[in-house]
Amino acid sequence: MGNYFSSMFDKLWGSNKEIRILILGLDGAGKTTILYRLQIGEVVTTKPTIGFNVETLTYKNLKLNVWDLGGQTSIRPYWRCYYTDTAAVIFVVDSTDKDRMSTASKELHMMLQEEELQDSALLVFANKQDQPGALTASEVSKELNLVELKERSWSIVASSAIKGEGITEGLDWLIDVIKEEQL
Amino acid sequence: MSTRTYKKFEASDSGDIPDKMTIYQDCMNQFNESPVNSKRCRTLLSRLLRLLANGETFTESEATALFFSVSKLFQHQNDSLRQLVYLAIKELSKISQDVLMATSSIMKDVQNGSDLIKPNAIRSLTVVLDETTAFSAERLLKSAMVSKHPTISSAAIATCYNLLPVSEQTIKRFSNEAQEAIVDLKYFPQDPSNTEFYPNSTFITQYHALGLIYELKKNDKMALLKLVNQFAGNNSIKSQIAKVQLVKIVSELVNKDPQLFTQFQPLFNNWLGNKFESIQLETAKLITNFHATHPRLVAPQLFSIAIATLQNLLSVPRVATRFSALRILNRLSMVTPDHVAVCNPELESLINDSNRNISTYAITILLKTGTAKNISSLISTITKFIHEVSDDFKIIIIDAVRTLSLNFPQEWKSILNFLIDVLKNGEGGFKFKNNIVEAIIDVVAFVPQSKEMALENLCDFIEDCEFNEILVRVLHLLGKEGPTASNPSLYVRHIYNRVVLENSIIRSASVIALSKFAISKNDTSLRESIVSLLKRIANDKDDEVRDRATIALKFIDTSTANEPTSSLADELIHPTSAYDLASLESKLSSYLSENNDSFKTPFDVTNIRKYSDDELKAINLKRKQEQLQKGTFENGMESSPKMAKKSDNKYGKRIDSDTYSSPNIDEQQQELLDTKYSDELLSMAEFQNFGKLVNSSKIVALTEPEAEFVVRGIKHIFKDHVVFQFNITNTLTDVALDNVVVSCNPEEPEESQLQELFIIPIERLLPSAEASCYIAYSKTEDVVTESFLNTITFTTKELDPQTNEPFEADEGFQDEYEIDTLYLSTGDYIKSSFIGNFTATFDELPNEEVAVYNIQESITLQEVVDKLITSTSCLPLENTQFVHSDTNSHILKLFGKSALNGSKVALVIKLIKSSKGIALKAQGKAENATLCSDLVNNLI
Repeated sequence: MGNYFSSMFDKLWGSNKEIRILILGLDGAGKTTILYRLQIGEVVTTKPTIGFNVETLTYKNLKLNVWDLGGQTSIRPYWRCYYTDTAAVIFVVDSTDKDRMSTASKELHMMLQEEELQDSALLVFANKQDQPGALTASEVSKELNLVELKERSWSIVASSAIKGEGITEGLDWLIDVIKEEQL
Repeated sequence: MSTRTYKKFEASDSGDIPDKMTIYQDCMNQFNESPVNSKRCRTLLSRLLRLLANGETFTESEATALFFSVSKLFQHQNDSLRQLVYLAIKELSKISQDVLMATSSIMKDVQNGSDLIKPNAIRSLTVVLDETTAFSAERLLKSAMVSKHPTISSAAIATCYNLLPVSEQTIKRFSNEAQEAIVDLKYFPQDPSNTEFYPNSTFITQYHALGLIYELKKNDKMALLKLVNQFAGNNSIKSQIAKVQLVKIVSELVNKDPQLFTQFQPLFNNWLGNKFESIQLETAKLITNFHATHPRLVAPQLFSIAIATLQNLLSVPRVATRFSALRILNRLSMVTPDHVAVCNPELESLINDSNRNISTYAITILLKTGTAKNISSLISTITKFIHEVSDDFKIIIIDAVRTLSLNFPQEWKSILNFLIDVLKNGEGGFKFKNNIVEAIIDVVAFVPQSKEMALENLCDFIEDCEFNEILVRVLHLLGKEGPTASNPSLYVRHIYNRVVLENSIIRSASVIALSKFAISKNDTSLRESIVSLLKRIANDKDDEVRDRATIALKFIDTSTANEPTSSLADELIHPTSAYDLASLESKLSSYLSENNDSFKTPFDVTNIRKYSDDELKAINLKRKQEQLQKGTFENGMESSPKMAKKSDNKYGKRIDSDTYSSPNIDEQQQELLDTKYSDELLSMAEFQNFGKLVNSSKIVALTEPEAEFVVRGIKHIFKDHVVFQFNITNTLTDVALDNVVVSCNPEEPEESQLQELFIIPIERLLPSAEASCYIAYSKTEDVVTESFLNTITFTTKELDPQTNEPFEADEGFQDEYEIDTLYLSTGDYIKSSFIGNFTATFDELPNEEVAVYNIQESITLQEVVDKLITSTSCLPLENTQFVHSDTNSHILKLFGKSALNGSKVALVIKLIKSSKGIALKAQGKAENATLCSDLVNNLI
């Protein structure tokens, strides 16, 4: 009987189950930096990711299985190979790169139309806030047309992976949403 | 049975192969699960790998799906799972195009992974990197190469090696690290618990590093020399394999530049005494191979040390070493049997070696080194032995005996007895028996004295033979050779027995054989009995047999009636000549493909070259001799330049293609080329009225093969005309040659008996194209010998790289190019021909001519003999084309026929080598006195 309860508990709180999170976005948005900021809390020097990085990290007693997929044009088509069982998508945008906002928006909406991602939460990081000329979160939100998203829990957070600002706030929100949905 | 089913069949013994689709489904389910069960995934991966190793394949989409699910396993940090993941990625990369998705993850492991998975990660970089991404791995690979851990370093070097064709630019920057890796002796990290049982290093890294350095520097002779000098003398290289490779590098160096050999001789001496058997073997191989091509450059002393080394290796306990030593000796025994003869005591003891491969090789070598004296005793040894070995070895032995019959015609009796004994008493399959029968047919063809005995025994054999093919061959031979034997009726009885007892295929072959007896033997009683036999056969129940009998009867009728058609019947039953099959085939296929008027014009057979019986024999014998020689040479070369074949296929291939880039036309192609040239010539309108092409010479090179314009000449002889064909190859890349003309000037214009008729120039010769320029002469006498000084004149025009046409404004400029002298010699009027009994024929020929020459140059007897054979275009007989290397005298026997009228010519050339040079006395005998004196007086 106790066994039963504990497994119930596990199910509810996911202490055993890993939560799968994808970090996506255009190349050079800062995905890999965010991943390692989350995992080791430091800024690492990165190279363009050819393929993906995957790390398992524990956050607030939850086991997160975070996949950082390369953002180069040649690698974007492969994103879909990793959509299955994804609890949440973190979409990273370079807030200073105004020219490619529309591309980012297009990629985002195309991705969200995928069947496998219908139930996933979406967290957008308006990254590189430390740089001059960066758009604010609401400006990015407008550029990405986030208001159009229906029936999905989403949020946009201004962040700077280099300075470590906004990352935990965003993730906190995300964890809350995931817990809520699993309940 | 296809390979696939065969493999399945084979595997059924070794356990069941899992079902492909089950594995696929299981993989897809398990690998996508979260969290990953590492143990279960490992099991699944190994089953998947087993499947792939068994030759199963997946479609590209399946493989891609598998790859992506496998890539998800990167989330698990288990080292043994990761190792399998790498293996799977490597396998799947062959089918799936998307493996580059694993790049980042792999590179991360290369950088931060444990020592256990690092080597696997590095090696899998080979399949994921391409030209653009290789650059980003440069730093990683470099630091892995200089790692102290031998396995990691090896993996990095091997990866660089394999990436070389992918990204030459990046890998070129690695030579310092590779150099360092050769010198650096790396040891496995000390593990105090098991140092006693494991060697602390195999130094294999040195081998890999050497391989990479070689690949990087293989075109730089000086760098390679430096490399060899740096490592060959001292003891810095510990790895045995690396040392062997060093020997191979030297082998390639000396083969490219033979003059280097002398400077390496002390090194070879040293290597022959090395403690490793493999190095002794490799060095001995190098020396003996080199000796085959450049005998004068190898010091006799070194050569005998090499042989002595091999001799010692024959009695070592290690089987592989004995076998390799035998292989080298076997090759050697084909060229210089006398040198190998010193090993005969060891070889004889190896006949009883428990390893059958070794004993068979030992016997074949003994057969080749055998002299007339011990042949018969050898044969009695193998008679006992042959029944104990498997079919494959029997065939090898039979082949050796067969060459023996060519080399020692006077030993035919014991050879034939042996063959017959094996044929009758030996157990064996079709291939084995067929080989024996072929050997006997050879003996009959080349040793006429043996005919009766061979035929009689073959008759006995066919009384009880289960193979149709062999029976038919024997019947054909009986029909061909039987009628001229002393007692033909004996064979007729045997053949008729077949008609009574055998199936229709054999019956029809017998009918043809019988009819040959009836026509070619002027024995009326025999003919009448055959006619009555054939009449009986004409009622056979099989169509083919009946038809053949009827037509045979008809032929016999016409041939006895002395009607004009009788010769036709004779010709059909007993053909005196055969078509050149290669040219017949090519003509027929072009006839079929052209099909101008739906085959209303019949196929024209008159243009195809015909060979008479003797000519055919000469061609066959020549081919066999050449095969023997070439086989030796090529086998010898085979293993030396292709390094590291065992370790890496790619490696072998790459070196291979580089070393053999020089044009190397083999015999078969050469013949086809000959036919092609004469076909082209005869199809040109200008030469239509010249009549029949009497003879075409071999292709003569008139320039160095690496010249800008490569020219090769062919001399075509007609009855009253001579045509020179110059094949010119333009090796320049961006220049076309217009209006190419070869001007031929006789060296002594006043005395020239040739009248120039016309020249057919080449209008335009594009880069890397070959075309022919022809010059026709009329000649007043049958045999004209002259030499010509030749110059090519042409206009060069630069080509527009876009259109491949000359620039319009370019008028080009006139240029000249001198090429070597072309000699029209007596040999060009002679065709090689075979004669069974040389001495008797030589004595019978009426006209005699003797000439004496003195050769001052320092060349070997063998080289003189080779030259004589080419210049006279005669066939060397009685195995006199080989000069024993330790003698100072030699007798060469040559036989040929005039291409113009078929008159015979025979030469006996005696050569004596002294300190002053080579003295040569040629004695020629011929039916035609002028031909004889021309040939004898223009030998050199």
